[in-house]
Amino acid sequence: MKHKPLKALLAGLSLGAAAAAALAQPYDTPPPPAAPREPRIAAPAEGRLLNGLGVVVAERHDVPLVTARLVVLSGAEVDPPQRAGLASVTAGLLTRGTRRRSAPALVAAAEALGGSLDSGAGWNASQVGITVTTPKLPAALALVSEVVMRPAFAPAEIERYRTQALDEMKVAYAEPGTLAGLTAQRSVFGDGSYGHPVSGTPASLPRLTRADIAKLHAGIYRPDNAVLVLAGDVDLPTALQLAQRHFGGWRAPHTPIPKAPPPAARPWPEGVVVIDMPGAGQAGVAMALPTIASDAPDRIAGMVTNAVLGTGYSSRLNQEIRIKRGLSYGARSHLDTRRGVGVLRVGVQTKNPSAAEVVGLVSGELDRLMHTPVPAEELAARKANLIGGFSRSLETTSGLADEVVALQIAGLPASDLVQRIPELEEVSISDVQAFAMKNFDAARRRAVVAGVASEFEAGLKPLAPKVVVVPQGKLDLEARGLPGLE
Amino acid sequence: MKFSRSWLVAAAWVLGSAAIAAPPAPGLKLAPLAYTERTLPNGLQVLAAENHASPTVSVHVWYHVGSKDDPAGRSGFAHLFEHMMFKSTRYLKAEQFDRLTEDVGGSNNAFTSDDVTAYHEVVPSNHLERLLWAEAERMAHLEVDEANFKSERSVVEEEFRQSVLAPPYGRFFHALPQAAFVAHPYKRPTIGNIEDLEAATLDDVIAFHRTHYRPDNATLVVTGDFEPKQLQAWVDKYFAPVTRPEAPVPRVGVQEPAWETDREAAATGPQVPLPAVAIVWQAPAVTSADVPALRVAAALLGVGESSRLNQALVYRQQIAGQAGFDADLRTGPGLLIAYAIAAGGKPLKALTTALQVEVMRLAEQPAPAAELAKVKTQLLTQALVERQTPEGQASALANAAVLYADAAQVNRQLDELQRVSAADVQRVMRHYVAQAHRVTVTYTQDTAKQPGGTP
Repeated sequence: MKHKPLKALLAGLSLGAAAAAALAQPYDTPPPPAAPREPRIAAPAEGRLLNGLGVVVAERHDVPLVTARLVVLSGAEVDPPQRAGLASVTAGLLTRGTRRRSAPALVAAAEALGGSLDSGAGWNASQVGITVTTPKLPAALALVSEVVMRPAFAPAEIERYRTQALDEMKVAYAEPGTLAGLTAQRSVFGDGSYGHPVSGTPASLPRLTRADIAKLHAGIYRPDNAVLVLAGDVDLPTALQLAQRHFGGWRAPHTPIPKAPPPAARPWPEGVVVIDMPGAGQAGVAMALPTIASDAPDRIAGMVTNAVLGTGYSSRLNQEIRIKRGLSYGARSHLDTRRGVGVLRVGVQTKNPSAAEVVGLVSGELDRLMHTPVPAEELAARKANLIGGFSRSLETTSGLADEVVALQIAGLPASDLVQRIPELEEVSISDVQAFAMKNFDAARRRAVVAGVASEFEAGLKPLAPKVVVVPQGKLDLEARGLPGLE
Repeated sequence: MKFSRSWLVAAAWVLGSAAIAAPPAPGLKLAPLAYTERTLPNGLQVLAAENHASPTVSVHVWYHVGSKDDPAGRSGFAHLFEHMMFKSTRYLKAEQFDRLTEDVGGSNNAFTSDDVTAYHEVVPSNHLERLLWAEAERMAHLEVDEANFKSERSVVEEEFRQSVLAPPYGRFFHALPQAAFVAHPYKRPTIGNIEDLEAATLDDVIAFHRTHYRPDNATLVVTGDFEPKQLQAWVDKYFAPVTRPEAPVPRVGVQEPAWETDREAAATGPQVPLPAVAIVWQAPAVTSADVPALRVAAALLGVGESSRLNQALVYRQQIAGQAGFDADLRTGPGLLIAYAIAAGGKPLKALTTALQVEVMRLAEQPAPAAELAKVKTQLLTQALVERQTPEGQASALANAAVLYADAAQVNRQLDELQRVSAADVQRVMRHYVAQAHRVTVTYTQDTAKQPGGTP
């Protein structure tokens, strides 16, 4: 207050009486916040067609836009052995031609509506989605139903897709961060059902046949295994009418829905894996550990713990690695919960000589969360950050659809959307420490560094019982184990 | 290319950034963005647009300084400086901006482009006053110390490695402006290079702030959940006291000549699994009357899977894995960039020819009406998607006010795009592409640094 400048006082005076109260507030600290206004979050409305198709609507009417997602509740978890990438390729091919329309005619029809028809598979679901202006919604749903119910899987399109996917893999495998992340995932799940890359491997894609694709499609794309989610400028009666018109004729087969084997983590033995990439401009550091399933009772505590560790600019990882030491442009962690078991992943890129230091810092932060309670002020800030991010995501139709779809995939009630903020607020200091104790044990952590091995290999040796170096070109993400790591 | 403070929300090496809007589709009326505009006695431009759909508010402060204003021998400095604006001021501790935003449920970031440096936040609306206080504080009283400067400079060097050296095609996009511009400082990369970043000093930071960070060189935009009278009172209280220096703001005076020959350049990298090529032409300033037609042309060539380049090179000929076209516009001369990454085993020569053929076809033959309608609907939908949030509205408004030097352009751009005809597209493609000189940039594996057998 003693430094309050005269010019500021004068500016305050010029405002007249209304500002008199504000004038008393000193300039050397930020003015206090006003009373908060809570976001209004409505529970999504739900319905179901006679064929079993679920319909979920989350309304938001301030802009004439709707995001539509047709979600099939099976994904890469059902990829058969030796067929890594099958669910991903099947979903990708949906938009590459139907029995009525060639691939170019299909994309032209979709893009004439203003949006783009996007399809793909995750671990527990396969989706087709599009965002359009409200008047275009019926035409957009007609296209979504056409690609989901009557895809062509033309042999020429399969070959074209395969060639492009293999090229994209070449690019991804030249990126240190991507390569480290894929390998870390394998190191946690091994040959379990989440062990292979969702999009397959350079070895598995050539094995996929049209018969594999058609069989998977017939097995999992069925109305009693699917949900239509609409978010934006639409209501439930309209949605049900549109769903009936475009999906009412979809029939479920009498066979049971194929189930994935119970997912389990089958980690590689402890040790740090190094992927040697000559000339890599940076090292990609990844750490992964198995964690809770998407419907676990402590999932909200997990979100908060992960936020303290690695969500947002002020998380502990970013504080220690970027802000305090200047070792990276950004360090973050991601809690990826799935059916049965999830994975917590840390990803950091740093100059090659700093890679070992970064591995040590990441481990140190996991230890700290286990052994020291989170200060109350820090916990409050990280919760506010999560709550704010969640609220902002609901401001767009696609963000709203993402949140609704995630609950459907997890098998959680759509009304959880309304409960999220109060549940996040309830997480306590001891909840966070308990989550860390249960999940972050050193024996569960697997670290992978991709980069110029000679610049960090020696530094890693004191950090792990074993350091195994694999040349970039020799990496096999389908191998049961890793040579040298037994 | 834009470089952001934090990679958490930054798009990867995506070309181009300027917001695009489009005409209403049949049956749909797009409400204009209603805003107020005023200029404080010290020269600060203030724009505001109310929207109470969510209890959030977005604050943008755009400084009219970018990497084109980097001091000599200090390429990358405007961007390095942007990072320093999150360090200490007279009354703010380093990273206190994160306390005022992230810690209360908001977010913040900043970016630097050739022409502007923009700081932007979203906060719960009850935190608006504190943020205005803080933005005024760092506009007037930045006080960075040596330790903070050096540590943040290391972060920017990692950003350089992460965006240029580590991604397989980072060096390719980094090379384009350097290869294309002949004289204009746009030639220098926004992210700079390690040597120039290492040469920067704390004195440079102080001088740069004094020269460019001033109310008459800035635009403040506030959108979302606020009460207009209250907002303007706060603006007066916190920003009116910021003094305007006597000296005029220095401006880049260098002109880019018309390119007189076709040129070629070659770039290489240590991890280039598939070669790539770009053909670059000179574009007019973003304020040119030809820009709407160029935006439509760029959308015809490069927006979506149904775009001409994707259909021809990726789908039909199968010689590219990815192909696109970008109207990379600036307040001064810009670039029109056609680019493609080869499909496995396909030669660059075929790729270059095919790019050239497709681009020329747009100059030679009128685009069919249905195709023109398609891109206009795509551009409208894109504008609606972008303007759903206070953040998107502020961004659109700031973009118009600063890059077009006319806030009203935010509502005019939709009509301008709607009026573009097939003949307009042909005319601009003839003028700026068919009858102009080009620069071809190839990108291949550095043979001295072959990776050990890529899978």
